[in-house]
Amino acid sequence: MLRVMLPILVLVGVLGLAIAGDRPEPRADFTFINKGDVATLDMQRMSWLQDLRVGRLLFEGLVAQDVFDPDYRIIPAAAERWELSDDRLTYTFHLRRESRWSNGAPVVASDFVFAWRRLLLPDTGADYIRQFQLVKGGEAFTQWRLRALADAATGAGPTGDELWKLTLDAFERLVAITSVDDLTLRVTLEQPAPYFLDLLAMPPFFPVYPALVSQYERVDPTSGRLIIESGWTKPGHLVSNGPFTLTAWRFKRDMRLEANPNHRMFKSLAIRTISIPTVDDANAMILAYRSGAADWVTDVVASYRGDMYEQKLAFIREHQAEYDAMKSEGIDEIEIARRLPDDPRNHLHVFPVFGTYFYNFNCSAKLADGRPNPLADPRVRRALAMMIDKRAIADGVRRVGEPVARTLIPPGSLAGYASPSGLPCISDMRTTADRDALIARARSLLADAGFPDPSKMPAVSMLFNKDGGHDLIAQSIASDWQRYLGLPVFLEQKEIKIFREELKNKNYMTSRGGWYGDYGDPTTFLDPHRTGDENNDRNYSNPVYDDLLRRAAAESDADIRAALLSRAESMLVDEDLPAVPLYHYCNIFLFNAHKISGINSHPRQTQLVFLVDILGDGKGTDIPLSTPPRSGSAGDPDSGGLPR
Amino acid sequence: MTGVILRRLVQLPLIVGTVFLLTLALAWGIPGNPLENPEGRRPPPEIAEAMKTQYNMDSFWDFAASYVDRASGVRWLSGRLTGEHRRRDAGAIASGLAPPERFVFDLGPSLQYRDRNVNEIIAGSLPVSATLGIAAILIALVVGLGAGVVGALRPNSFADVATLTLALVGISTPTFVAGTLLLLLFSVLLPIFPVASWGSPRDIVLPAITLSLPFAAYIARLTRVGMIEALSSDYVRTARAKGLPERTVILKHALKNAFLPVLSYLGPATALAMTGSFVVERVFTVPGLGQHFVSAVQNKDLFLIMGIVIVFATMLILFNLAVDVLYRWVDPRIA
Repeated sequence: MLRVMLPILVLVGVLGLAIAGDRPEPRADFTFINKGDVATLDMQRMSWLQDLRVGRLLFEGLVAQDVFDPDYRIIPAAAERWELSDDRLTYTFHLRRESRWSNGAPVVASDFVFAWRRLLLPDTGADYIRQFQLVKGGEAFTQWRLRALADAATGAGPTGDELWKLTLDAFERLVAITSVDDLTLRVTLEQPAPYFLDLLAMPPFFPVYPALVSQYERVDPTSGRLIIESGWTKPGHLVSNGPFTLTAWRFKRDMRLEANPNHRMFKSLAIRTISIPTVDDANAMILAYRSGAADWVTDVVASYRGDMYEQKLAFIREHQAEYDAMKSEGIDEIEIARRLPDDPRNHLHVFPVFGTYFYNFNCSAKLADGRPNPLADPRVRRALAMMIDKRAIADGVRRVGEPVARTLIPPGSLAGYASPSGLPCISDMRTTADRDALIARARSLLADAGFPDPSKMPAVSMLFNKDGGHDLIAQSIASDWQRYLGLPVFLEQKEIKIFREELKNKNYMTSRGGWYGDYGDPTTFLDPHRTGDENNDRNYSNPVYDDLLRRAAAESDADIRAALLSRAESMLVDEDLPAVPLYHYCNIFLFNAHKISGINSHPRQTQLVFLVDILGDGKGTDIPLSTPPRSGSAGDPDSGGLPR
Repeated sequence: MTGVILRRLVQLPLIVGTVFLLTLALAWGIPGNPLENPEGRRPPPEIAEAMKTQYNMDSFWDFAASYVDRASGVRWLSGRLTGEHRRRDAGAIASGLAPPERFVFDLGPSLQYRDRNVNEIIAGSLPVSATLGIAAILIALVVGLGAGVVGALRPNSFADVATLTLALVGISTPTFVAGTLLLLLFSVLLPIFPVASWGSPRDIVLPAITLSLPFAAYIARLTRVGMIEALSSDYVRTARAKGLPERTVILKHALKNAFLPVLSYLGPATALAMTGSFVVERVFTVPGLGQHFVSAVQNKDLFLIMGIVIVFATMLILFNLAVDVLYRWVDPRIA
């Protein structure tokens, strides 16, 4: 019997040891479930929303956005002040004397130079390199380096350390970034860019600690490339300059952050520890919130979220008068939830954000297989765009209150920018007569394009990726096109990686697409439609459009510039329709506004988690932050916003 | 016995090498660029190209060669011998920083989680899956043996039919249904167990029960059949005839023989349970290895795919060897 039982006893022993060796940590002051796992904490290489959110806790840029200001006003961060030259090209930043890295070393101007050189080096592979090439000489330097590496590969040029030395010289010679002294940094742009400071508030433009990072970068002696090794972003190794430091990062388990005693905000922080558990399952996130294990779910994706939203609406209906009154005063959604009674249904927060879901039309003259592309004609694209029942998608498929879109840029999200009207669609028509008129208009557009009988048109394929409910939206659109035009349509579902590849190779006819704006300027939505842009999945090319963007870039008058860009967007959404906007994305948060302050409802969705305050716990001010309405100068500008 | 062990150990690198080449060839063929973001912005094409070079992904043979160089420990050895490691550690310490971590058998960086090394990912998630798997197998043994014995003592009685039905339900219920039900019952309605956390013994209970269900059901059926056969055999009749108490007859004489088929099932079952379950890990947010078998392929994360396949192949070979050795020891009839 002992012989039989021995393997079982061994198993029991191993289990006991494993359990004894794993000690859970005490609960953090604030626990939130991020949108997904953090991919990297290398500032220059990050671009995912969840990475950026943690990046803003661990590191600090020259400037920051006041996320409780309706216009996301730029405020000082690592730089205490800055000047802009009269030609609006040269920025001079003055760093805070007291800024420290988490190991106590002072933050100096050359730290920024180091980080920005990494950003511009093609070896780093920064997703945001293009945005930073508006610095004078930035693109020239990247191209110089690429050429030098190509020469090294063919043996035509120097390599190894010699090439690296030449690269450092080239950076100094070509790029207009200078550390004047330890506390002064000067940057000159190629042309004025009103959104440059907005960019600098993004983590890819934050500094990294040069002494640390250079330990993990080495020059390959044969190719001359910079080999970048992972490892410096681990707890115990990472040196950062933000309000929090990294104390634990267990893969697929959690990340733990603690307040940085070297940071100037240390005393004013209302939370000292943050825990970010990894929860991949949509349902488990909600259960974690309901059982009290998490304070904030940043992205509610459970399949029953439509029902949760219905319940929230039912809750609002019970308090309709109060809700309407507060809404008319311009009070933001989170503050309204805070003033209405505490109710589990009221923990769901839905608000539109700076992003749009659309359908791409391939605009190439020929399809990838060589057939002529019926969608190359803008009249065909306009006709198809008008025949989509966008209301049915937003209300029937999505069911989370997302606004129907006629434009790419969510209207009202940018101060001083007037959105074009956009093409109407079938669900905008109130009466049967109007609907019939619109259908007749679409049919006549198709007839003009050489398709008098749409049912004889080449079948239109619709490409989308698995998961995320894209199949339901595609079905809805396909049935509209079949019902109103009799158009033959077929659906193609692919894995995400293959889907992306097909888009890049323009091997599709129509496909689902989406875009979130990165910075507070229309160009963040308009640039991807420029001829030859790497994000121009539609292969759209119109010299008039490109020229409008060029003229806007050179324009110094803000109003004229906005009008030029608005005209450009009008070309996209009224005339050429390389993509048809369907709805503007909404963000869905789950948290109790009566308990938590510091999360903002602004469409731009920069969340600075270090502003979080657990209300009524006696730590921090315990006064909730909220966004004042945009128009009137609502009271004291310092009443809400970042602690200085 | 020693001969068998030695022979298997010599075969190990050959099998792992073949598995490596086959997997790499298949993984290389998966369409799509692993370095590309699944959503949002694409970097300029020349940057995308530079990234491919950064990870030696320009050509299949370059990649395979540099992978073997790292994973076999050759690179570590050369860094050690040339003094490169010492030089760089000294540089780090001089700037007041912790020296970089190094792995002897470096399985490379994950392409999806760029700050992570595949060694760390496996070192972090394998113990989790193993703990959960062992707990599940133990639960399955207790429940399965108990149910099987109870059923076999009175075949076709109410208790027998009930356990058989339960076993059928246990085998056929998908784990995502059972897991979600348990989670709703014991974490949300009755908040006894935590949701979405891992680290304390309480966190293991629900996922272990969920994972154990199909194993328990199968063990119950194996035990029942074995016990019915054993109870009607001659040696049990002899044991009863010489007046042994019923407990001794069942536990010592009948169960000992009925357990042998269970033991041979236990080998592959433990291996399967210990390498994680994608579904159970997702439902209970367990940071185990199972999820990577699926997600690494979806993301075309070459280094992670190769890493887990190599580790899994090695484990499977060693585990089969262990079961073989154990079986010879338990049942002397097998020489």
